[in-house]
Amino acid sequence: MRLLIVEDDVALADELTADLGRSGYAVDWLADGRDAQYQGASEPYDLIVLDLGLPGKPGLDVLREWRAGGLTTPVLILTARDHWAERIDGLKAGADDYLTKPFHPEELQLRIQSLLRRAHGLANQAHLEVGGLHLDESRQAVIRNGNDIILTAAEFSLLRYLMLHPQQIVSKLQLLEHLYDGETERDSNVIEVHVNHLRRKLGKAVIETRRGQGYKFHGVTAGSTS
Amino acid sequence: MKSIQQRLSIGLASVLILVGLALAQTSLWLFDTGLRGSLGSELQLEADNLLAALVRGETSIEVDQTRLSPVYQRPFSGRYFRIELQADRIEQQADTGLTLRSRSAWDHTLVIPEVAGLQKSLGDGPQQQKLLVYRGDYRRFGQDVAIIVARDYTPVLNSFQRLRWIGLGAGGIALVVILILQRVIVRRALQPLDSVRQQVKQLQQGQRTELDNQVPEELAPLVQQINRLLLHTEETLKRSRNALGNLGHALKTPLAVLFSINARSELQGHPEVVESMRAQLDNIRQRLARELGRARLAGEALPGAHFNCAEELPPLFATLQHIHDRDLQLHWQTTPDHLRLPWDREDLLELLGNLLDNACKWASTQVRLAITQADARVILMVDDDGPGIDPARRDQVLNRGTRLDEQVAGHGLGLGIVRDIVDHLAGTLSLERSPLGGLRVVISLPAPT
Repeated sequence: MRLLIVEDDVALADELTADLGRSGYAVDWLADGRDAQYQGASEPYDLIVLDLGLPGKPGLDVLREWRAGGLTTPVLILTARDHWAERIDGLKAGADDYLTKPFHPEELQLRIQSLLRRAHGLANQAHLEVGGLHLDESRQAVIRNGNDIILTAAEFSLLRYLMLHPQQIVSKLQLLEHLYDGETERDSNVIEVHVNHLRRKLGKAVIETRRGQGYKFHGVTAGSTS
Repeated sequence: MKSIQQRLSIGLASVLILVGLALAQTSLWLFDTGLRGSLGSELQLEADNLLAALVRGETSIEVDQTRLSPVYQRPFSGRYFRIELQADRIEQQADTGLTLRSRSAWDHTLVIPEVAGLQKSLGDGPQQQKLLVYRGDYRRFGQDVAIIVARDYTPVLNSFQRLRWIGLGAGGIALVVILILQRVIVRRALQPLDSVRQQVKQLQQGQRTELDNQVPEELAPLVQQINRLLLHTEETLKRSRNALGNLGHALKTPLAVLFSINARSELQGHPEVVESMRAQLDNIRQRLARELGRARLAGEALPGAHFNCAEELPPLFATLQHIHDRDLQLHWQTTPDHLRLPWDREDLLELLGNLLDNACKWASTQVRLAITQADARVILMVDDDGPGIDPARRDQVLNRGTRLDEQVAGHGLGLGIVRDIVDHLAGTLSLERSPLGGLRVVISLPAPT
């Protein structure tokens, strides 16, 4: 999952980037409203965390123009302005959620997880649970039939992305774009390696390879044990 | 304070009455004096005639009746005379001398005035007549002769009296007409003042934000000053709200950083440090939110502020539905249908947002808001079908600082901020049992005057 954080406070942005990075998100950070407006619309982000008091261009204007331009990426507004009138204005402008500063980091994590689930048609679900697998996002572990299976950070973010796109063909390019931030060197062989690791831990049938197309997540069907 | 209209009426009426009375009285007096003067010279002529009519009769001096006007023969004709001979003894013994009297006086004896000439005061005559008396002193036949001629002045007095009544009546009618006209004129002249007053009233009710500038030049400075004051107040309020918002922003972001640092894995080895720091940070956060909310309220409500229910409630409910992303039925109703509340939009959104947010946290399926306007009060009622609050604990909840709802996600500040806003709007807040089964919060706000 690739996130864009638009926040002009460097200290907070550093904390958020580090914190979300530890949670397996690929995070890009921007501080200026005008940059954000361009990059938010041109890069394939899965979610945008947007501060309202930005240099260059106010956050609400950036959001309005994204929406006017047809951008459907979920946007979480992160702001110190906590009045209901502002909250309503934010949601009217097209935000999907609104979190006021100061906040607990775990609260932000929960909101991001829930927004991502909702954006992928998995609303009304307290956890990410697809195809017989339950992903514990706080511990970066997957639970199958009540058994914990520990994942590495890379495996975790790959599995999360696939679980949020169940029964869909996901290309390698798509995976590269959504699992790595703008700075990292991308190597498609790495993806193959991680897919193989996941198959070893969860069973071969979990991820199907479609030659020339990409991967498809099936999950563990009832009855299959290996 | 008396109205301008009333003052003008009283002033005009008293001036008119004073001047009218003085004028009437003076003209009557002038007329009276003139008339008396002319009648006096007539009387003097009459006295001269009488002197000429005195003849030496066989025994004594007598009046030649043939040379007298017949009016002196007819009783109470209003023309009388008395002639005193031996006038040097007149004062001591009136009866020793010879007295000639007109027949018209009948049994009445004219009083002899002390000085000659036309008398200043009227004398008494027969049949309650008031007489204008003239005394002429002459010398004839070697004797002092005093001739007193009198003329009935009552008809003149009566006509004066009549004139006075007519004048009073006419004056009274004129006064009433003038006062009515003046009332009309004053009312028309004060019309702009009245319209300004209407506008100030609308201002208070929040139907306008400034006064109309199209006023007569006498009123222009007043209206301009009021408008300037309004603008000034609005700007000051906006500035201070902005300043507070900026302060909040400035403090909240570092606080968010602290929260994040506190959650770092390096610190997880010292759970008690992390826990106490987190508690303190939470404390700061809550105090900050509460105090910022309160400081924002400290300014007087902006003139012209209003809250249009039909416009503001749908987005608020959409927001709530969005925040509480579960199967909740939110419902609102206002009586009458199109209700405009005379309070600041942000204050009411804050009040309703917090109340409804709380209700949504607790409700199992339903939350209802009812706003009713009754006389000079507006009643806001929020119902939910959650667990409710035990009657014994309701007072405790309303006490500042108590957080019964702290175990539910969110700040648990809701009711505290609601209380602050209700206090600010001089309203009352009470907790009751809802017919839906949960808690009912009733807020009654007095309409600003």
